[in-house]
Amino acid sequence: MKFKFALAVLFTAVSTAAIAGKDEDQQIKFRQSAYSFAAWNCSKIKSQVVEHPETFNKEQVIAAANSVAAVANSGLGALYGPGTDQGTGWKKTRLKPEFFEKQDEVKKVAISFNEEANKLAKVAASGDIGEIKAQFGKLGEACKSCHDKFRIKDE
Amino acid sequence: MSVTIQVWDLPLRLFHWLLALSVLSAVVTGELGGNLIDWHGRIGVLILGLLVFRIIWGFVGTTHARFANFFPTPARIAAYLKGQWQGHGHNPLGALSVIALLGVLAALVGTGLFANDDIAFHGPLFNLIDKSLSDKLSGLHALSFDALIVLIPLHLAAIIFYARVKKHNLVVPMLTGKKVVPKGQSIAALSVGIRRLLVALTISGVVAWGVSSGVQYLAPAQATSVAAMPSW
Repeated sequence: MKFKFALAVLFTAVSTAAIAGKDEDQQIKFRQSAYSFAAWNCSKIKSQVVEHPETFNKEQVIAAANSVAAVANSGLGALYGPGTDQGTGWKKTRLKPEFFEKQDEVKKVAISFNEEANKLAKVAASGDIGEIKAQFGKLGEACKSCHDKFRIKDE
Repeated sequence: MSVTIQVWDLPLRLFHWLLALSVLSAVVTGELGGNLIDWHGRIGVLILGLLVFRIIWGFVGTTHARFANFFPTPARIAAYLKGQWQGHGHNPLGALSVIALLGVLAALVGTGLFANDDIAFHGPLFNLIDKSLSDKLSGLHALSFDALIVLIPLHLAAIIFYARVKKHNLVVPMLTGKKVVPKGQSIAALSVGIRRLLVALTISGVVAWGVSSGVQYLAPAQATSVAAMPSW
């Protein structure tokens, strides 16, 4: 009887420990996927607008810009729950712990990502390569400001 | 009595000021990001060419440009600290700074060529390696930058220290190539070997071109052309 009880306690402890990090890891995985998808779309815009403007295709650039904006507008904040500065999604997260202490600053960089991505989608619809390029640079600056503040530089 | 001697040859001086300008531009473009990050990459390739030139010039340049003549060995540093050093080029402590700066810049360029910013920029050799290795090298790039922003103020502080305390102006010789020394210490005029200079310039030019443009023949980037993209 005592043995069975000990076994039950052990089982509960082990399974709780296993589940504990699960939700955090899932959030990390989702957000890593979201940014990867945005990066893929940004690379298409960069290729067609900055590197090889001779390959510019208005519809494809609009689709890519809309996809980036959709990621930005999807409510990514929900994927930054408490404790998600630790854990592994597709790979170990590089979120700095101070992310959770500087919520005002976080809000600022998050909103600037939204705004610049939405502006890019708007400008893309115009089809003006020069304007798209300029706005694409601003979006890059928004990405960088968050990377600089809240992402661990080296792994 | 004192005489004026030539201490730094023209290619070395051009190298120095071009490097200073390039490093400053690389720092600014790297910090600002956005569309300027592409210029950061181009300047990095220019710095690569400059570093390759400096290394070659360290073997075939004029007297004070050669590593063998100023490499900071422990014996030379000890002699300098005892006040027994009597050269004209980099003194052994300055030579330490030269080697450290060149080493850190080489690390920055070497890692930067393979780095990526997880936005929409990567160095020209990124396609040769895995993304995860590139991420590691990007981290080292940032780490080397931390070393650079310690070394540059140190370099400038040393120049100010020599000007104010030791009354040695180091900036003017780096501009004019000339330095005033006591009469007994005069040396023969420097003569730049034109053929050696051309070889050094050619090699550094070929390396910079190879890295920025030539590499695409080795590892072609995947083209995202309109034709290649399906309609769905």
